[in-house]
Amino acid sequence: MLALRGIEKSYPLAGGSLPVLKGIDLNIAQGEMVAIMGSSGSGKSTLLNVLGLLDGFDSGGYDLDGVDMAGLSEKQAARYRSQFLGFVFQSFNLISFKTALENVALPLFYQKVPRRERQKRAMEMLGKMGMDDRADHLPSELSGGQKQRVAIARALITSPRVILADEPTGALDSTTSSEVMEVLREVNASGITVIIVTHEADIAAQCDRTIRLHDGVIIEDGRSGEVVEPTARGARSQG
Amino acid sequence: MFNRETWIEIAHTVTANPLRTALTGLSVGLGIFILVVMQGLGFGLQNGVEQDFGDEARNTVWVRTGRTTLPYRGRQPNRYVQMRNEDEQRITEQVVDAPAWSGRRMMWGSTVGYKNEQGNYPIVGVEPDFDELELLPLMGGRWLHADDLAKESKVCVVGENLLDELFKQDEAIGAFITLRGITFRVVGHFSKNGRWGNSMVYVPLTTMQRVFNGSDEVDQMVLSTGELDLEGSSAMVEAVDGDLRMRHSVHPDDVRAVRVRDNQEEYAMFERVFTGIRLFIWVIGGFTLLAGAIGVANIMAIVVKERTVEIGVRKALGATSGSILSLIVIEAIALTLISGALGLIAGVATLNAVAPYAEHDYFADPEVNLRVTLTALAVLVVAGAISGFVPALRAVRIRPIEALRYE
Repeated sequence: MLALRGIEKSYPLAGGSLPVLKGIDLNIAQGEMVAIMGSSGSGKSTLLNVLGLLDGFDSGGYDLDGVDMAGLSEKQAARYRSQFLGFVFQSFNLISFKTALENVALPLFYQKVPRRERQKRAMEMLGKMGMDDRADHLPSELSGGQKQRVAIARALITSPRVILADEPTGALDSTTSSEVMEVLREVNASGITVIIVTHEADIAAQCDRTIRLHDGVIIEDGRSGEVVEPTARGARSQG
Repeated sequence: MFNRETWIEIAHTVTANPLRTALTGLSVGLGIFILVVMQGLGFGLQNGVEQDFGDEARNTVWVRTGRTTLPYRGRQPNRYVQMRNEDEQRITEQVVDAPAWSGRRMMWGSTVGYKNEQGNYPIVGVEPDFDELELLPLMGGRWLHADDLAKESKVCVVGENLLDELFKQDEAIGAFITLRGITFRVVGHFSKNGRWGNSMVYVPLTTMQRVFNGSDEVDQMVLSTGELDLEGSSAMVEAVDGDLRMRHSVHPDDVRAVRVRDNQEEYAMFERVFTGIRLFIWVIGGFTLLAGAIGVANIMAIVVKERTVEIGVRKALGATSGSILSLIVIEAIALTLISGALGLIAGVATLNAVAPYAEHDYFADPEVNLRVTLTALAVLVVAGAISGFVPALRAVRIRPIEALRYE
């Protein structure tokens, strides 16, 4: 489904450049549930940007569903994001002045789906998340867990092949966290590839596979139970 | 780009931030409002003065006399200085070289009768050149001829008001009317602006002197300065003034006894004042506009900064940079355009509301210069578009993951 071959990327800095990804080789099959772990500065956010077609890369290759993603135009990238990918974020990133229903319907707006159809599908998706009774609420009127359910509904509305989740439980308490992980596991069970960036070992443990990133290279890649090295607590990722 | 969905989306964001919508609207609307009102008042002032001057040709010098206020050469003050035909003759033949001139003598409140109708009108005795000196548009018949003066003919040219009030349906030209009991034949009629202008009855000066006063008195003189520039006309004023003072023993500092007024100079003075006022309005208008534009730019910059996260989310959800840019720019344009139009409407409404209460000799018809206003509106809209576009361009260039961690 996803194949990275020797991805390298550096950010320009004053008087040089900062290499962030130093040759990433990674294959993720359809239907996998993968955790990407790593401390702050390990390059995991950049990797997520690249995987999510939100940022380009300097060298290497990236095949998404068998299509080469190198040298995509801005417009094409937006189309692939819209068709293949769904995003879930740590701080939910719901648009504050839109209701839950409108937030969920927004990706369909960019797919030029007619308004009535958008509303109908968004309502169905909220129903699947058990949130249909909150459809007319603004994000500020929802709890953290409810917000993340709305955000997941929004990510799923376009029937993506891959869900990219950036610290999806980072802002939630442990009970709500496990609820959200439950939802993500259900999503995964329906055949959608789920990739979660996290620094929490217990979240990673609930995935099938864990990839550990350090200093721009993959240092470990294996079944979740086998990647055991503890992550330093308190090193909450800032990017 | 301009489909219904985009507008729904824009309406949504505009109504979602009522405070900043109101602030943007206020800075643009107020700017246009002030500009419209200032321009309107400026035009009103100019119109007023130009109408006041509209009566008379600008290249004329008016000579008037009055009572002396200062003793001079053994003469007591409070003596009336009366110009006579000989003064006019001497001045036009020996003192100055005027291309056209006319003496003038006026009798207010004269009874004018036609058949059974009668009314009170001023009778004015003038000479043939007078119609060019006071710009009297002849509507029918003819003006007074040199021949009329030479023969002291009892003919007259009447203003439009007499047609309405005395002649009604009758043909005025060729009709006989009585002026202070003496029969005159109407040879022409004219129409001009102003309260008094249309009520005048013009007769030959010589006829008036013979029939009504039996003297050679002239009350005022009007001289044309022709093609003379301001310097030339001022020299003419000096010459006439000096001659009259000498002949009638008037103190050089006596400003009441001999008054020689140069229309060109007065108009030039008003012109200078207007240039000043116009400049003032432009400067104020320009700065108002600038303040409005800065206000819009400021607010848009803040708005885009506030919406950086939203922009990142939209990108992650499949929005192209172009669609986000156009969303913000169209929003900025719509906002400035609507509030600018409201300011324009409010300004015009204010001018229309104020105009009836501001009637004055030097103020008339405050009008809105639509071209200037629309230009100002366009400037603000462009400013709004640019000030939305620039920060939005910066925002869409931020990689979404960074944008989403912007908080």
